[in-house]
Amino acid sequence: MIERVGITTTIPQEVIWAAGKIPVDLNNLFLASDENDEFLARAYRDGYPRTICAWIAGIYGAVLERDDIDTVVFVSQGDCSNTHALAETLEDRGIRVIPFAFPYDGNRHLLHAEILNLARIFEVPWNKVEEWFFRLDEPRRLVRRIDEMAHIENKITSIENHLWHVSTSDFNGNINEFSHECRGLIREAELRPPIIDRLRLGYIGVPPIFPEIFTFLDDLGARVVFTEVQRQFSIPFIEDDILTAYAQYTYPTSVFRRIADIYDKIKARKLDGIIHYTQSFCFRQIEDLLFKKYLPVPVLTIEGESQFELDERTRVRIEAFVEMLAQK
Amino acid sequence: MKQILGIDLGSRSVKIAVRNGEDVAFRVFDTAKFFSELGKPSDAGFVLDREKLDIDDDCPVHATGYGRNSLNIANAEIVPEIQAHTLGAIEQTGIEDFTLIDLGGQDSKVVRVEAGRVAGFRMNDRCAASAGRYIENMAGVLGMSLEEISLHWENPEKLTSTCAVFGESEIVAKLAKGVDRARLASGVNLQIVNKISAELEAMPPRIIVLVGGVALNIAIPRLLAQKFKISVIIPEFPQFNAVIGLVSGK
Repeated sequence: MIERVGITTTIPQEVIWAAGKIPVDLNNLFLASDENDEFLARAYRDGYPRTICAWIAGIYGAVLERDDIDTVVFVSQGDCSNTHALAETLEDRGIRVIPFAFPYDGNRHLLHAEILNLARIFEVPWNKVEEWFFRLDEPRRLVRRIDEMAHIENKITSIENHLWHVSTSDFNGNINEFSHECRGLIREAELRPPIIDRLRLGYIGVPPIFPEIFTFLDDLGARVVFTEVQRQFSIPFIEDDILTAYAQYTYPTSVFRRIADIYDKIKARKLDGIIHYTQSFCFRQIEDLLFKKYLPVPVLTIEGESQFELDERTRVRIEAFVEMLAQK
Repeated sequence: MKQILGIDLGSRSVKIAVRNGEDVAFRVFDTAKFFSELGKPSDAGFVLDREKLDIDDDCPVHATGYGRNSLNIANAEIVPEIQAHTLGAIEQTGIEDFTLIDLGGQDSKVVRVEAGRVAGFRMNDRCAASAGRYIENMAGVLGMSLEEISLHWENPEKLTSTCAVFGESEIVAKLAKGVDRARLASGVNLQIVNKISAELEAMPPRIIVLVGGVALNIAIPRLLAQKFKISVIIPEFPQFNAVIGLVSGK
């Protein structure tokens, strides 16, 4: 069986594919499982505090409860210090952990050194990494097409937009199947009549622990036509070299680079408002104040903890926000 | 105006207003009792027993509240809660530019209303610290009724916890040290004001309209007015504000 390598968030996955292995985004593994409550329970049993991000606890539990992942690449700069402790507690349980550091300012030389180091660990020559960058161009291009169909042609729903983007961190472990399904959706959606929206929204922040938020917004007629971080996961930059592409990846760098990206999309995609999802106990809850300060449209901040369904309180907030924007 | 029924589905009680022309009548039901006695579930949602509610067969129903997404009422027009509160406050006070504060059992909401429209809002999240339940529990530890605790605002004892659970041990420790009960009661009321202040300062208030069950507390509007140096209006029926909005015909 081909070895699966866990990743704690998006990394230059080209290296893992080039090594003949399959990347597995542990966030997707945790969320998509029927046993996600059990994964959390495992972490708490082992002594994880309850007041820690559920993604971190869930990933810990998922890796240990499943037996098929013994190597995890974790992002040691550009994500959070909870990830460090996640890696340490996994290492303690016999998992091989490999750090990958995104330079804070997107510095190309440092990025080059980091990807080279990852390639050395996986025993992959640089030209193989570059070759895989070109091989991943096709599924990425297809997802860019889905994005265009969302915000230009108005034929893609919020939930489709979210799911296809969020899956690009590991392409569900199968590039051909992913591309095939993408093409299927594009063919089908091209025949749809355009969606008539009450509002056009942007979603910023990490992917939600309750993806139901996207169907809920679709039902309210407040369609998400920009999913910030999910879109970033797809490395949507049209570049012909891997360093120039990843140097533009905003998520693991300064919040001001994220703000510039979001600001630009608010204007270009004519967004009426922004929903900022934050995870309970996450440092990104502090950055919320900067989004509110610098973005030119109303921002609704919502918070998810460890319940996988959209709760009543969050629904009330979202409805009130949508009504408020619709009246403007 | 024809008859209109407004329902505010809350976690503890269901509040109902029936408007007949200019007259509005209010009723309050225990939430569990409401669902067992005043209607029955069907495929289309909860069907109201119109006879028991004393309303005409064609009386329109407007509903709001937390339960409304999961417990949909058949043929009811659903109004978002913040909207209902805004309409209620306008109907009750006649003003259109104000900051609405709704302090309920587990909620605190601050809504900025400009020219009769919602211009921004903030709500507590994940935690009901400093909502009505906090006062209830602290009153219990102090051996006071809700009316009694609400009479104290002078010389407040400084408290640190706003948690409706951990707050109890803080009060117990202070009582053990001999701190005066009246000062502790003032401190409890001040905690509510301090907690809501962060939300208020983020949206500097103009006239405050205070609604929700906590508005019946006498100390809190005084402490709010003192702190922000602005007037605080308590409408006639603060606890029925949302249903008044629902039957306002707006």
